[in-house]
Amino acid sequence: MSYAPVPLPFEVRRLPDGSLLAVAESGDHAFLTDDELSLLRHEPASLPLERQAELRALFLLGSAQGNIGTRQLLTSRQAAKRETVQGGPALHIIVPTLQCAHSCRYCQVSRALDDAGHTISLRDLEAACDTVFESPASALTVEFQGGDPLLRFDLVQHAIRRIANHNKSERRRVRFVVASTLHQLDEEMCALFKEYNVFLSTSIDGPAWLHNRNRPTPSRDSHQRTTVGIDLARRCVGAQSVAALMTTTRQSLGHADEIVDEYVRLGFKDIFLRPLSLYGFAKRNHSVLDYTRDDFGQFYLRGLERVLHWNRQGVAIREVYASIVLNKILSTFDSGYVDLQSPTGAGSSVLVYNYDGYVYPSDEARMLVESGDESLRLGRIGQPLKELLSSRLQRDLINASLTHRTPGCDHCAYNKFCAPNPIDSQAQFGTLCAPVLLTDHCRRHMWFFDTFFVLLRKADNELLDLFYRWATPTAFENL
Amino acid sequence: MRRIPAQFENSMPPGVHRVVDLEQLALEWTPHLFFLVQADSDEGGEVVRKLRTRGLHNICWSPGKAFEVGDIVIRDTRTGDGVVLFRESDVHHSLLLTNRCNSYCLMCSQPPTKHNDSWLVQQTLDVIRHIRRSPVTIGFSGGEPLLLGPDLRRVLDAISTQHPTSRVEVLTNGRLLSDPRVAEVVLQGCLASSIRWLVPLYGHADFVHDFVVQSPGAFEQTLAGLLTLQARKQFIQLRIVLIEPVLQILPKLCGFIGRNLPFVHEVALMACEPIGFALANRGQCEVDLSDWGATLCDAGKVLDRHSVPYLFMNAPLCALPRQLWPRAHKSISDWKNTFPSECDRCVVKPQCSGLFSWHERGWKPTKIRAIEEVSL
Repeated sequence: MSYAPVPLPFEVRRLPDGSLLAVAESGDHAFLTDDELSLLRHEPASLPLERQAELRALFLLGSAQGNIGTRQLLTSRQAAKRETVQGGPALHIIVPTLQCAHSCRYCQVSRALDDAGHTISLRDLEAACDTVFESPASALTVEFQGGDPLLRFDLVQHAIRRIANHNKSERRRVRFVVASTLHQLDEEMCALFKEYNVFLSTSIDGPAWLHNRNRPTPSRDSHQRTTVGIDLARRCVGAQSVAALMTTTRQSLGHADEIVDEYVRLGFKDIFLRPLSLYGFAKRNHSVLDYTRDDFGQFYLRGLERVLHWNRQGVAIREVYASIVLNKILSTFDSGYVDLQSPTGAGSSVLVYNYDGYVYPSDEARMLVESGDESLRLGRIGQPLKELLSSRLQRDLINASLTHRTPGCDHCAYNKFCAPNPIDSQAQFGTLCAPVLLTDHCRRHMWFFDTFFVLLRKADNELLDLFYRWATPTAFENL
Repeated sequence: MRRIPAQFENSMPPGVHRVVDLEQLALEWTPHLFFLVQADSDEGGEVVRKLRTRGLHNICWSPGKAFEVGDIVIRDTRTGDGVVLFRESDVHHSLLLTNRCNSYCLMCSQPPTKHNDSWLVQQTLDVIRHIRRSPVTIGFSGGEPLLLGPDLRRVLDAISTQHPTSRVEVLTNGRLLSDPRVAEVVLQGCLASSIRWLVPLYGHADFVHDFVVQSPGAFEQTLAGLLTLQARKQFIQLRIVLIEPVLQILPKLCGFIGRNLPFVHEVALMACEPIGFALANRGQCEVDLSDWGATLCDAGKVLDRHSVPYLFMNAPLCALPRQLWPRAHKSISDWKNTFPSECDRCVVKPQCSGLFSWHERGWKPTKIRAIEEVSL
């Protein structure tokens, strides 16, 4: 039995504030001085005993032998980080129609109301509902996307009933989500949603003037009609039955406070300050919609500060991107956010059954089809799940998302938290495995992890309490 | 356990007896148990002797009223005292399985011995047979119960067949569960009773924990043991005794638990019992908890952040910052619990754990201070 300290494998990064961060195989981290890093690497026994104990507790130091407990512990910590991807596809997205009453400038896919061609066939819809149960996952989420699914409420209703019926024998935990503008929501729909505990996900981009500018309708009252829908849902389906997502456009940039305040005013518990993704129409309208990462970063920090301000006033509102990043950094249990999984969650934990009769590995993948890239089809709706998940494409997705085999990721300090996103790479460069360091996905998340480590380093007790609360898993399972 | 001066018939056989009233004897007697009939009068003794000559070999007489009806007792043949191993009216029940231990903790309240005491297993099985009303909770302690291997499992099985409603607590350092053979012997198949494993952890790094338990390698073994218990979905309470070397690192230890052992059901933070090795290692063990209030709050905050429940044991309320009072439990076993006279003026005395009765020979966990007013 020897207590001689041996450095364990870890990665190091210098943060924007000049400090040094070390991240262990367990995902635990420590902020180090340059001297400490040098001692940790070369002469760990010279570190003060108190510091040695801390670094051992973080899996940065260990013993050469006799580590029967800590070795098992490290294995179980690493397994906990990957648990979510290994349970089989848990999120099943069904796209009944691309029809939508809006003509948003950044929207990837939607089609006008009179465009009846972009709607799923009844046969495909039923086949999709049945494939869901081929997944071994004990908890299933079935989400209806569009277009606006409520424009084809008949199809949504048919699918929900069919799945709920099937589940009488399967007895899985099934949750339904409908993503919609809520403009068409009426009491009949609410009654069905209440009966099946359906959760609604809508869009609010900010105060009315901004929302209406981003999301034009002929009557120019999109914001008002959505908030009417929110009220109706809260009254008839449940007080916590609606969440909202926002998309950041160039118009949003100077208005972070107003956007956050609008979410507080509307009583939402979550706000997701999301950058615009480059897919579909958004890519074509680049010049109108585009802004730099710096622009977004400034917008994000301003918005986050406003969210923190409200929390200090006693209003509990959570910023979802922060929750995702903090969950990765602070929690032993992974929330399973799909875009940051290695191997990727695309396909393995998410499947999209599109109106066109094909199955795609993610919501973004089916959007690429609308701009002509059909390479991300796993197969036809109705093919057995096993076949879809053993397809060539699925293998390629997995191979393109392994951090330890991806140059740029293999020695990145954040590779316990992050992963390449092959679908993003496909959208940006037309290939699943463009050099990660050049991808928008990588740059954005490096910024996020840098930003939150700097914030954590300086955080007072109150902020730490809040960050740990946000880091708790299931915090954003509804989005 | 209580030692009580009592009188016994000379012919009383060694071993476990259940105390019974003469009036109740007819109701409770069975040929498989031993009864100590408590009767004040000589006539009572006469009745017992008569019954015995007519075939009730398993009864004998104790003059006086030394015991409570239902007590499970043995007679200490050396001192002649009665020893109460189990008393129905107690809230806390604990049975000693062995005095042997593979650790040698700085503050051990029950210093281990080396000699063979395997007879304690049979005594425990006898006590279990003699208990007339299944207790809500029954604890098994040592020494280190896992040293018994298959005999520990016999005890656990005896409880689950004879007292299936009782909740069982096993106080163990968990080290031997790192050995798959021991784990298999003790945990194999289905454990019928609901068992809570009470496992001490004193450090966030090997050399810290190993120093406190004075046993190289213990930290690694205890961690492996905890993972074994987790794999079998067992209820685990981690126990942290608040002595100085532990208080020095307490918030870090709580962080280690939150990150690595979030599956434990709760963490018990316990004031040290001033007895046993704690007296010999007074320099390390004697602390005034009220000097460590900020540390205790920090530790609680860390556990809260990781959603790990925690409670305080053996700590009188005047030793704790007020925000931690809701976490304090009245945890000291009835027979060793006392309140000094200062407490008579204290308005929260009914909610307070009080002190170990042997604090007089050792020390108090804090300067006892009557709380005279509680503003809500």
